Amino acid sequence: MIFFYTLIFPGVLFSLVVALLLDGINRKVVARMQRRRGPSLLQPFYDCMKLIKKDNLINKDARKSVFLSAPVIALIFACIIPCFIPIFKHNFIRTSSDIIVIIYLLAIPSVAMILGGASSGSPIASIGSSREVVAMVAYELPLVLAVLSVTKAAGEQFPGGVTFSLANIQMYQSMYGPLIGEWVLIPAVIAYLIIIPAKIGISPFDIAEAETEICEGPLVEYSGIYLMSFKLIQWIKLFIMTSLFIVLFLGGSGVSTGIVGVDLLLNTLIIIIVSIILMFISVTFGKVNMGRVKSNQLFKFFWTVPTILSLISFIFVSFV
Amino acid sequence: MRLKKSPWIYHVNTGSCNGCDIELLALLGPHFDVERLGVKLVGSPRHADIIIVTGPVTTQAKDRMLRVIAQVPEPRVIISLGSCPISCNVFKGSYSVEGPLDKWVNVDLQVGGCPPKPEAILTGIIKAVEILERKREEEYYV
Repeated sequence: MIFFYTLIFPGVLFSLVVALLLDGINRKVVARMQRRRGPSLLQPFYDCMKLIKKDNLINKDARKSVFLSAPVIALIFACIIPCFIPIFKHNFIRTSSDIIVIIYLLAIPSVAMILGGASSGSPIASIGSSREVVAMVAYELPLVLAVLSVTKAAGEQFPGGVTFSLANIQMYQSMYGPLIGEWVLIPAVIAYLIIIPAKIGISPFDIAEAETEICEGPLVEYSGIYLMSFKLIQWIKLFIMTSLFIVLFLGGSGVSTGIVGVDLLLNTLIIIIVSIILMFISVTFGKVNMGRVKSNQLFKFFWTVPTILSLISFIFVSFV
Repeated sequence: MRLKKSPWIYHVNTGSCNGCDIELLALLGPHFDVERLGVKLVGSPRHADIIIVTGPVTTQAKDRMLRVIAQVPEPRVIISLGSCPISCNVFKGSYSVEGPLDKWVNVDLQVGGCPPKPEAILTGIIKAVEILERKREEEYYV
């Protein structure tokens, strides 16, 4: 059963399809907002099929083993994370502290991208890698604070006053209503929505993959199937961030009919639809309306606005 | 699954006067919007399928252009844009011009004009996608 979970349903295949779908919708909506026709919804599928059939070129200065294994490792770890996020009441892989596992696993694709860029032997890629490090240092702190304030708010009913289990958080919210309704957590929600575009590297916070500035940064030397894997990871990460948001702040999806299969299907559909709405709010809107920030501006912004917002939530939840 | 919908373009300038480049960029705007055909302007030659070359290959640009084109993975299509890569245009006979382009690389498609109209470039890209598709099916190699 664990193979089915990791390879097909919430794992590799399902997350790949959802990621491509989210990418297609995002591109279409961006085009419509710029008064263009835009590509078809299936454009990312075509791009993927093309990149699979394309040649792989390896730079002669590249450190071959790291260069080729980085995208594979990143894709594997990104595809495992959806198994930790409960859909309705189904925990596919149950641990007592899912949130810590998810936060660490989410960092691995970024680290792999840094390693891949640094090992590709191109000066542009090393600039991109160093910028990715700056972005990681900037967004990890407010993200962890925002998630911690949720664990603290939901943990008052549990021993120790804190819970790191997503199942417990969902249970708390099914009893006391979704946490987004509590005013102390509104700053954390805003901070979380600001962090999503930085986490997945989308404009205005795409300093690492600045397309017009440093030619996609760490990805500049990648071609063919390896490029495809890095492109997919972006959108898998977006799906993980939005479905985590649904569990943390909205209490998960809760349509129940009594039949396990139908429940699972309905709740998955609801999660995908809410993910699309969240993507529109936090990613598409910012991408269309704002230009790219500089790396020092990004660092300053993330260590002031989202950090203070999530710190406010954390302090109020802990001490008031 | 039809693959012919995903041509990514890389743009090389070999000493052009920028006329053709501006006309090419007009294609990406809302009026012509080539993204509806799946076209994307990429920053690295390693991501590209179609290389668009403008300008009469100057001595300084020649080696760089050859290096850039060698970095594009197969299958690839090379389009020469404007009159300069075809015949060197008004720069013919200059000491610093080593054109025309097909002296150095196999050009798959030529779009003439000084500068060519965006409609002509659009037609050229659509034709290039057909050539790309034939190359993908391995009917012939250039």
